[in-house]
Order: sequence, then structure tokens, then C-alpha cells
Amino acid sequence: MTLQLLFDALSLGGIYAIAALGIALIFGVMKLVNFAHGQFIAFAVFALIVPSTDAVAVMGLGAAPALVLVPALLAVGAGLAVASEYLVFRPLRNASPVALMVASFALGVVIQNVLLVFYGGRPKAISLWPDLGKPVQLLGAEVPMLQIIVICAVLLVLALLALMLKRSRIGLEMRAAAEDFGMARLLGVRANAVIAGAFALSGALAATVALVLVAQTGVADVRMGGQIMLIAFIATVVGGMGSLPGAVAAGFAIGAASVALQAALPIEARPFRDAFLYGLVILVLLLRPQGLFASASAKPRV
Amino acid sequence: MKHLTLGAAIFAALATPVMADDITVGFAIAKSGWMEAYDTPAATAAKIRIDEINAAGGLLGKQIKWIEADTRTDRAEAAKAGLEMVDQGAQMMVVSCDYDFGSPAALVAEGEGMNSFFLCAEDVKAGIQGVGPNAFSASVLAPVQGATMAEWSYNKRAARKAYVLEDTFIEYNKGICTGFDWMFPRLEGAEIVGRDTFKNDDASIASQITRIKALPQEPDVIMLCSVMPGAAAAVRQIRAAGINSLILNGSAVDGSYWLDATPDLSGFVVPVQGSIYGDDPRPEVEAFNVAYEKATGARPASQYAYPGYVLIDLWAKAVERAGTVDGAAVTAELEKMKDEPTAFGPRSFSSELHHQNTALMQIIEITNGKPGRVDEWRISEPVPMDVLITK
Repeated sequence: MTLQLLFDALSLGGIYAIAALGIALIFGVMKLVNFAHGQFIAFAVFALIVPSTDAVAVMGLGAAPALVLVPALLAVGAGLAVASEYLVFRPLRNASPVALMVASFALGVVIQNVLLVFYGGRPKAISLWPDLGKPVQLLGAEVPMLQIIVICAVLLVLALLALMLKRSRIGLEMRAAAEDFGMARLLGVRANAVIAGAFALSGALAATVALVLVAQTGVADVRMGGQIMLIAFIATVVGGMGSLPGAVAAGFAIGAASVALQAALPIEARPFRDAFLYGLVILVLLLRPQGLFASASAKPRV
Repeated sequence: MKHLTLGAAIFAALATPVMADDITVGFAIAKSGWMEAYDTPAATAAKIRIDEINAAGGLLGKQIKWIEADTRTDRAEAAKAGLEMVDQGAQMMVVSCDYDFGSPAALVAEGEGMNSFFLCAEDVKAGIQGVGPNAFSASVLAPVQGATMAEWSYNKRAARKAYVLEDTFIEYNKGICTGFDWMFPRLEGAEIVGRDTFKNDDASIASQITRIKALPQEPDVIMLCSVMPGAAAAVRQIRAAGINSLILNGSAVDGSYWLDATPDLSGFVVPVQGSIYGDDPRPEVEAFNVAYEKATGARPASQYAYPGYVLIDLWAKAVERAGTVDGAAVTAELEKMKDEPTAFGPRSFSSELHHQNTALMQIIEITNGKPGRVDEWRISEPVPMDVLITK
């Protein structure tokens, strides 16, 4: 039972961590909280099925074998994010952070309504890899295959990302940009490449979340992604705005806290699980207003 | 002066665009936004009944005309849509399925002393209690659906141990669980062995499933009080975890469109007002399904088309009996209806309740991914008023 809960916590936390990373990446390079991230996730989910307002969904991309499907969907997510950057955020590059944030809200509404027009308002069923839900015995716990895959995939994504950030030129530039964007540009960092790269990565991470969500729940809904976006945003705040390890750690922590509260709260209090969760978040922020792992740029200079 | 006369003439023309010898029904419903998927089928069904009545000679010797305005799935727009319908001469108002999105327009109708009908609201508020004395809903209250599941599974599937899993997303879910909680423990030897809650958009309900699996014995039935898309997600995760209890739900998840979410699903039961699968024992239901297919090109995707047909049917009968479309007079006739026959079973209204607190429901079971009608059930006593109100 305890081990089971640990796996539940790790897999839910992993989803939140990947989503939080997608938001923290973009915040790091351009101080933009991308509120359209949830709609990026929904868009990637709907990219699996053929556009139609009929009640029954027909698999399009989703019918492809996993070896084609996964890279293709990551490319869809990255493509959407890069296109958004080019069309919406690049012209606003020098606008105030508030204007950028409002633009990201607007972008989210546009994406959601495009989905509504092409797919209709009714939730749709998607049968993606149904066998992954089957439980397997592991260390005395019955763990769904999908949970193990999610946990492994999260670790893999984090390792690859860490490697890229530490070892590649674009990674170095991204870290430099996250520290101090103006200074980095003065030292020859290519702003457009770094920002486009961050958006592409963020979009691909959104597509990863989409894949996990669909495999887990089997449904597509235009409103999906909103709740994850909210939690991911909170994770980036708790983790320290702009800190990538902070976002990941906070994502895992919020997932774990959510599972623990669901398991420990008495039935009368359980409907208010999220109120308790956000109460904890407020507590953390009262103790550490700058977040758990504040980046250097987030601290005011004296 | 000339302009003034012209203006007045245009104004007069705009104010009375409807011929005086027609009866006008106004639809203030969602034609865009996410609610559209729920409002359109029921509104289409209502228009099918209007066409049938017109073809049979009309109502009070007049033809029924319908006009409509889009609420855009927005509460503020819903009030505007209601006002627009009144301005265009509506004499009865049909409003959105859901209480939250339908009540702004229903309140406009109430203010004009007109009747209003929710397309498929199943919350007691969508009537006298939450709008006013002339508001009705033609659907079956959510607690009746939960109570039907409790009594049917007890009698027909020997359910003794039940687990309740409630999605806290909307009032409807709460209503289903309220009905189940009222009925199931009253039955001899039946017991609710545990309960839990989740949220419709939870990314995972793994910890809720861990709790069910920790029970000493798998429950006979799981009462899942949820709606799409959370319901499909929950069913997928419950079955994937190897839990084989019979899963019960409310009418809201009727339809086969979501079954791909759990391939080869078996042991899933919902109560409905009529079967969309062509196996309803009442020929009128299948006749309607065929008429619906003729009008739209596809059979109804769920039972939620039916209340639209029923509401026009009942309202027209009451208007015929009252001899007028005046709200209060028609309400008085509607309240006299006791087990009034309709194509989808008998319906009753009273001066306390403009909803169905009991109904003959068809039982749909999904076996190997195929839904089909297996039975019908009417609860042994109506859900009492205090259960409906205090939920």
C-alpha cells in the first residue's frame, strides 16, 4: 500500500514536473509565463485524431506505430510552440511582461476555439495503447505499466535535458540567457535561436504530457490541460521562477502532496483536497517568497 | 418628420416580426461553445415535435413558429439571448440544458410571466426552487437515476456491498450520489463499504484506485457519479487496475461515442429515458430515432435528445387544455399531469416540483464494448422532497 502510493506519487509528480519544466524554460529566457501551455497540451492531444465534429473519434496520427507517433507528436508540439513564438511573441519581444502574459492568455483562447471549431465541444474517446494500463507486479506492489513508463520517461527527459543544457552550445546559451538575458546578448548569444529553441523544447514537453494524459485517461477534451497548466505554473512559482531544477522538484513535490492528501484526508475533507494543497503552497511561499530554488536573476540587486 | 415616421415604421416592423396568428417558441440555447454539443440534439428533437404538431394541424388551430438566439455557453450572453427572444415575440422559452447556463434566460421568461423549459436539466433548482413558478425541466432528476441504479442492482444483480466514487465537478454528480446514498442503505442487507472523491480533470485517479484495492473484498458495485470526460477516464483506470466490479453511473454517460476509451468494456450500467441503440421495446422511441436520423443524418448520440421532444409534447398538451399560451394557465394544466403518457414513459408535475422524482428508466448495459438495453426499472417510491432539497 505504501509502495503503491509512492508509485502513484512519482507518476503524478512526473507529469506535473514535465509540464512545469515547459513553463519554466520559457520563463527563463524571456520572462514570459506562457498561459497557453495548457492549450498546447490539448492541441497535441487532438492532433492524434482526425478533425471532425462527429461524436465518435477516428484515429489519425494516433493510429501510427509508437516509433512514428511519438517523434511526430513531439514535432507537432514543438511546431505549434515555435509558430506561436514567431507569430505572437516575437513581435512583442520588447513589450512589458504583463502584455506578454495577456498575449499568452489570448493565444490560449484562440487555440481552444480553433479546436472547438474543428472538433466540436463534446469530449472524445481515444484508445491509445490500452495495454499500458495493465498492472504488473513490482516489489510487492501492483503497478500499472504506464506508471513505470511515465516515471522512466520523466527521468529520461530530465537526463537528456540536463545533458543538453550542460554540454551543448544552445544549452549553454539558454542557461546564460536565463541568468541575464541582456548581458548574454551583449556577449554574443543569439537571442532568436535561444528563444525559438526554448519554445520548441517547451512545446515538445507539452506533447509529452499530452501523450501520458491520453494513455492514462483515454479521452480528449478541449478544456483538458487547464488544470495541469495551473498546477505547473504553481510549481514554477514554488520552485523559484526561472529555476529549471526548482520547477522539476516542485512539480514532483506537488504531485506527491496531492496523492498523500488524497490518501490521508478523512472523507469529509477529501473534496477540498486542492484547497489543502494550495494551503501548503501558500505556506511554502510565506516561508520562502522567492521560491525554493530562486535563480540569481530573480533576486533584486542591491 | 418623414424620417421619424419611417423610423417608427421600421421600429414597429422590428418589434412585431412574427405573424399574430402564429405561436412562437423562443430557443435561448448554446449554438457555440462547449455547451452546444449538449443543447443542439435536444433542441433538434424539440423542433421535430414542433414539426409533427404543425403537420397535424397545429396548436389551438395555429402553427408553431420557432426563433432562436445563441447564448455562446456564457451566462451573461444567456440573459441577453433571453431578452432577444422576448423582444422577437417568443411566447414560451426553451433554455440551455444546464441550470447554470439556462437559468439567466429562464429568469427573463419568468419575469414576463412566460413558461420556460430547460432542455435537459436534472437539478431540482432548474424549476420552481431556482427560477420561479413557471419554469420546468423535461428530464429526470439526477437522484432518481442514482436511486434507480441502487434498487436495480440490488434486485437484479444481487449487489450488497457498494463503493461510491464521486466526482466533485458539478452538482449533477452530487445528485446521482445523493439518490444512491438514499436508496441503497435502505435495502435489506445492503451496505456502502467505502467512498472516495475525485475531480473530473484529475490527471490520474491512481490513489483512489489504490484505496479500492486495499478493501478486504472487491465491492459488488461501484457507483461512479461522474460525467464526461472524467467518467471515461475513471472507467479506463478502474478496469486497467483489474477491478471487475459492476460500475454504475447516471444517464449523462449514455452513448457509445466514448467506449474507445476502454476497449472491450463489460459490466458498465446506466439508466436512460429511452434506448438509442434500436432495441427499445416501445415502438415510439425507435420511430423518434428514425425521425431524428432523417432530420440530422445521424441517430441520436445519447439519450439527451429525448427530453427536448418530451418538453414540447407536454407543453403543447397543456396549452391545448388551457386554451391559451399564458404562463400561469399553462403551468396550472402542467401541474395537473399525473403519469401523463409520453413516448418516453409517463411524466408528472405538481405544484411543489416541476421535475420527475420517479420515472420508468431503461437499463443499458455495456458488454464487450457493445451497449444494449437489458431491462427497465421504476423505483419503488419517489425520491422524497427533503432528499432532493438538502443534497
